[in-house]
Amino acid sequence: MSYAIETYDLTKIYKSEEKTVVAVDSLNLNVEKGLVFGLLGPNGAGKTTLIMMLTGLTLPTSGSGKVLGYDIVKESLQIRRKVGLLPDPFGFYDHLTAEQNLEYIAALNDISKAERKKRVKEVLTAVGLYEVKDRKVGGFSRGMKQRLGIAQALIKDPELLIFDEPTAGLDPEGARAFREQVGRLSKEGKTIMLSTHLLFEVGPLCNYIAIIDRGKLIVQGRVRELVEKMMVEEGYRIRVKATGDVQTLITNIAQLNEVSEVKREGDTILIKANRDVRSDVNKIALSLGLEVLSLQIEEPTLEDLFMKYYRRGEVAEHA
Amino acid sequence: MPSMFTVALKEFSDIMKGKRFIVLVIVFGLLLTVAIASVYLTVMQNINIPGIAMPRGFLGRAAYTLIAMMSYFAPIIGLALGFDAISGEKEKGTLKIVLAQPVYRDIVVNGKFLAALLATSLAILVASIANIGGAVFILGVTPTGEEVARLVLFIVFSILFAMTYYSIAVLLSTISKRTTQSMIIGVVLWAIFTFVIPIIASLVAFTVRPIRIGQNIQNMTREEMQQLMEEMRSRTVITEAINSFTPNYHFGRIAQYILNVYTGMAIGPRNSTEVRSISIMEGLTSAWPNILVLVLVTAIAFIASYMIFMRQEIR
Ligand SMILES: Nc1ncnc2c1ncn2[C@@H]1O[C@H](COP(=O)(O)OP(=O)(O)OP(=O)(O)O)[C@@H](O)[C@H]1O
Ligand SMILES: [Mg+2]
Repeated sequence: MSYAIETYDLTKIYKSEEKTVVAVDSLNLNVEKGLVFGLLGPNGAGKTTLIMMLTGLTLPTSGSGKVLGYDIVKESLQIRRKVGLLPDPFGFYDHLTAEQNLEYIAALNDISKAERKKRVKEVLTAVGLYEVKDRKVGGFSRGMKQRLGIAQALIKDPELLIFDEPTAGLDPEGARAFREQVGRLSKEGKTIMLSTHLLFEVGPLCNYIAIIDRGKLIVQGRVRELVEKMMVEEGYRIRVKATGDVQTLITNIAQLNEVSEVKREGDTILIKANRDVRSDVNKIALSLGLEVLSLQIEEPTLEDLFMKYYRRGEVAEHA
Repeated sequence: MPSMFTVALKEFSDIMKGKRFIVLVIVFGLLLTVAIASVYLTVMQNINIPGIAMPRGFLGRAAYTLIAMMSYFAPIIGLALGFDAISGEKEKGTLKIVLAQPVYRDIVVNGKFLAALLATSLAILVASIANIGGAVFILGVTPTGEEVARLVLFIVFSILFAMTYYSIAVLLSTISKRTTQSMIIGVVLWAIFTFVIPIIASLVAFTVRPIRIGQNIQNMTREEMQQLMEEMRSRTVITEAINSFTPNYHFGRIAQYILNVYTGMAIGPRNSTEVRSISIMEGLTSAWPNILVLVLVTAIAFIASYMIFMRQEIR
């Protein structure tokens, strides 16, 4: 299996006179190529530090890692050739125009002069900044700078994109455009890593997540598998909407072995069970002559996952 | 593989486009020239001591303003270009963007140094030409071929002097947490080198070798006269020893040797009408240790910032 990102006991310790911070603590990650990978964790969890180690902006204290198969310490130049990074925080040269800033980044990527103009136009158009290409970045709003940051990460046509807090400062329209962009990039076959504590904005994009807290990995895996695992562990939540004698329906469903709880919530019925009992519910309704309007499994959201593992991480920490 | 030239090109055009550079060249290169030249002219007109040889030739008259102007201009241009070199990019967050590209860290420092060298050369050339041109105009004397050669050398060593300050500024900018901090330390250091140490030097000299009260040159014996000379010499030795801790002192020495206005030992018998003249080669030979000091300080400061920057946390 070829991994986009793999780390082995990767650790970063910041030492200063007053204190020692273990920003990343023996992290073992393995993220396959082609995924949209969400690195989730609260403020100070070590997300940015991990990203900086992956891109050669800071050296690990111990452990090792590979990005696109290249060693993060010995081959970081090759990594930076193929990885587009949106750092957090970051800035541009205020006295240069958007276009000039990007042309400089392009030059640093050894993109030929002829090619540069074309690439710059492409990425500026992609983030909706082409109209303002001749304006100095000093006069840009925060969201415009963020868009330019995204454009900058795209300029080298990278295999892997790492976005640190990509939606910080973006308006809803900007955030939506970003999500669409991620979708397109993912379709093109690129691997994308999104680091954030804002679950709502980018969470739904991810098909692989890792949750870290205080530098430690709490859980990682495909979102699908984590969701299924959580449903098995915490039970399935099934919501039914039916017409007719709902009360009888509830009584009958409650008699199913796997059902632990049935209750009425507004004009729907919420079932908690340790198995997917949808077909059973359907049968019961049919036998009672009721019309089922909808019958859905309520999957845990990313937030549910986050809260479950995050809380567990906290408990483990204090135990 | 993108090289330091990519960085140098951008940095150089930044410097040229920025207000800082133009303002400095105009304020210091031109205004300082006018100010110093006018002071100098007043002095020249009012001092006319019979028996003391007046400086001759173009350099003899113009060198003073040139050296005085340059000893302010070069450090300030060096500091101005260097104080935010690294810290500024760290603060703005541009460094992270640059270093996330496939480049080695050293091209940032090297590229900046190269750009600063070019910009400094240009600034010093402009300021010198303004100064020399002004002097030609005011004095009505044109430099001879040999004097031109001396002026060219002077410009070269002025650039070295500016780069000494530039390297010190870059070092400060590398180790400082903030640009304001780096700027304040830079200016304080400049003031110490330019004003404080020379004042301390002469205070120490006069404390160690005080002026004896009641001296009257007119009715001194030959022995007393010699003793007085001896005292003055030892004061000079003390002052120079202390001043040699500043780059400014070494630049001053180089400039004096190169421009043939070295006066340190020129105090001779009263009836001397000869101003000692040394050839360019003699000047270079005598200035050699001072040149070496400036080169070393520049190199050490640069290598230190280079090494610190290479392994530094960039946030
Ligand atoms: N240069 C540094 N020196 C000392 N400590 C640092 C440094 N950089 C980060 N840290 C510490 O390392 C820890 C992890 O920080 P990091 O920025 O990686 O977290 P994060 O998950 O990105 O947080 P956020 O969501 O706020 O961006 C924090 O405790 C932080 O204070
Ligand atoms: Mg962060």
